[in-house]
Amino acid sequence: MASGQIDIETIKAMLGLCDEDLVKPLPIPTKWSKPFWEAALQHKLVLKKCSKCGNIDHPPYMYCTACMADDHEWVEASGKGTLAAYAINIFGVPFPFWADLPYVVALIDLAEGPRMISNIVECDHDRLENGMELEVVFDDVTDEVTLPKWRPVDESRRG
Amino acid sequence: MGIGEFAIIGTGEVPCGNYPERSEFEVAYSVARMAIQDSGLDKNDIGAVLCAQHIMSNPDNDYNTEMVFGRLPEAIGAKGCKVTCMTSSGGASSYSIRKTAEGILRSGEADTVLVVHAQRFTQFTPNEQAKYFSIAGSDVEWEVPYGMTFNSLAAMITQGYMNYTGTTIEQIAAVCVACRKWAMLQPNAMFNHKEITVDKVVNARMVSYPLTTLMCNVLGDGGSAFIMTTAEKARKVCDRPVYFLGEGSNYSHRTITRGDVKDLDQMTTFTAPIAKEAYERSGLGPEDMDIYEIYGSYPVVNLMVMDSLGFVEPGKSGALVEAGETSPGGKYPCSTNGEAMSFGHSGTGVGFAMLVESVRQLQGKAGAAQVEGARFLIENCGGGAFMDCHFAVMGNEIPG
Ligand SMILES: [Zn+2]
Repeated sequence: MASGQIDIETIKAMLGLCDEDLVKPLPIPTKWSKPFWEAALQHKLVLKKCSKCGNIDHPPYMYCTACMADDHEWVEASGKGTLAAYAINIFGVPFPFWADLPYVVALIDLAEGPRMISNIVECDHDRLENGMELEVVFDDVTDEVTLPKWRPVDESRRG
Repeated sequence: MGIGEFAIIGTGEVPCGNYPERSEFEVAYSVARMAIQDSGLDKNDIGAVLCAQHIMSNPDNDYNTEMVFGRLPEAIGAKGCKVTCMTSSGGASSYSIRKTAEGILRSGEADTVLVVHAQRFTQFTPNEQAKYFSIAGSDVEWEVPYGMTFNSLAAMITQGYMNYTGTTIEQIAAVCVACRKWAMLQPNAMFNHKEITVDKVVNARMVSYPLTTLMCNVLGDGGSAFIMTTAEKARKVCDRPVYFLGEGSNYSHRTITRGDVKDLDQMTTFTAPIAKEAYERSGLGPEDMDIYEIYGSYPVVNLMVMDSLGFVEPGKSGALVEAGETSPGGKYPCSTNGEAMSFGHSGTGVGFAMLVESVRQLQGKAGAAQVEGARFLIENCGGGAFMDCHFAVMGNEIPG
């Protein structure tokens, strides 16, 4: 895979970007998703489970999308998943992500059922494989925000 | 819904591409006049004027606000206009606005509706466009913080589809080549002057593996319009009305992770029943279609839609495209305006461009791209991050 490294200072000058244009977007929690991000900060992956019908909603919404009930609990997920599909971003991403190129975004199927979009980190890009087993890792991107990400369980696939 | 209850009797379109000096207002007024003149009606016959919301707004002179507040009927002198409004559902806007038009026609308040789309991206800087599209296709809370983009979404769907169906990257590229061949025959297409090859598409700059730049659509300024009326009136005022014979629709998700269908080789379990419904309502089948006007915007989506249309075994569309069967002269002409990939992606206008091309084909007005003797076709659109899917069987006659 060819590296997409392009000097960000050149891009900045070329397009007249300011420093603010290079700040990474962070999740802005809603009333009903706040517990997810608070748990992530504690390095826990949690899911919103309806107390009435047992449905797990991810992303979570205000009330259960199966039965419209409010009552719910946050259950800790196993942190295990599999890789459904992936893309390796090489070029043409939002400016705050240029410095990270190349990076992997993927569809991850959690053992508990829901599917997530996240990054596959600590991996050899040539050894990504549909269906491979993944485990959650936590990236403390700021003091207030932690992003759950995923890495291969098989150490030989790590890079 | 009755078969052939509504019809389109005229269309207008401006070239798609980079036209920074051409305001959305200029585009809207131009295509409106073209469509009215093409229909042969008088402007004062127009009883309702509907505008598609365009995406990205200029706060200094906001097109959307102006259209919502009735600028268009006044500007084009539509003295008989009783109703005006704006409708949008992203890439599915050509569908939802048509349904709005049907409601107005069915109410009896008006018997002739003008529908207009106009877009100008080039008034915004590349950074502004990049910012808009970095969140338009993705969820700001759950996807954008991970560096997700529209291209990455299409890339991972392509990666999964190829892996699960055995489709090759050359077959993915062949979709772009076929679209370019059609665009070469279209005076309004953004990319109509240079052919491309599978080799060139595969070896173009990698954007989001496995997609190269030539597998990603390019934004362009553009616009089009059409005149819709009841079948009864259409027959009186038009030599060759184009009828809606049967339609099907479904919605899946906003966030791709919550899509109705999880397996990337099983997408046809979502889309095929929608096409089947459209076919059944029209009383026609895939074998009756002369053209398949598919709006994919990325090659993999074109293949997934082909997989659901009943003329090819699901998962084998890539081979069919590679063999040239969807290109000009092929057995299954697909996306005859060159599609978003080569016609250009005019925001909410891609579906309008496809619909307007469908009408031109069935009216025998498609010029060099004309599929000889086309009588029936199936038209398709969808919006968001592949949120929904719509099919319409159209024809220049009502099958008896
Ligand atoms: Zn529930």
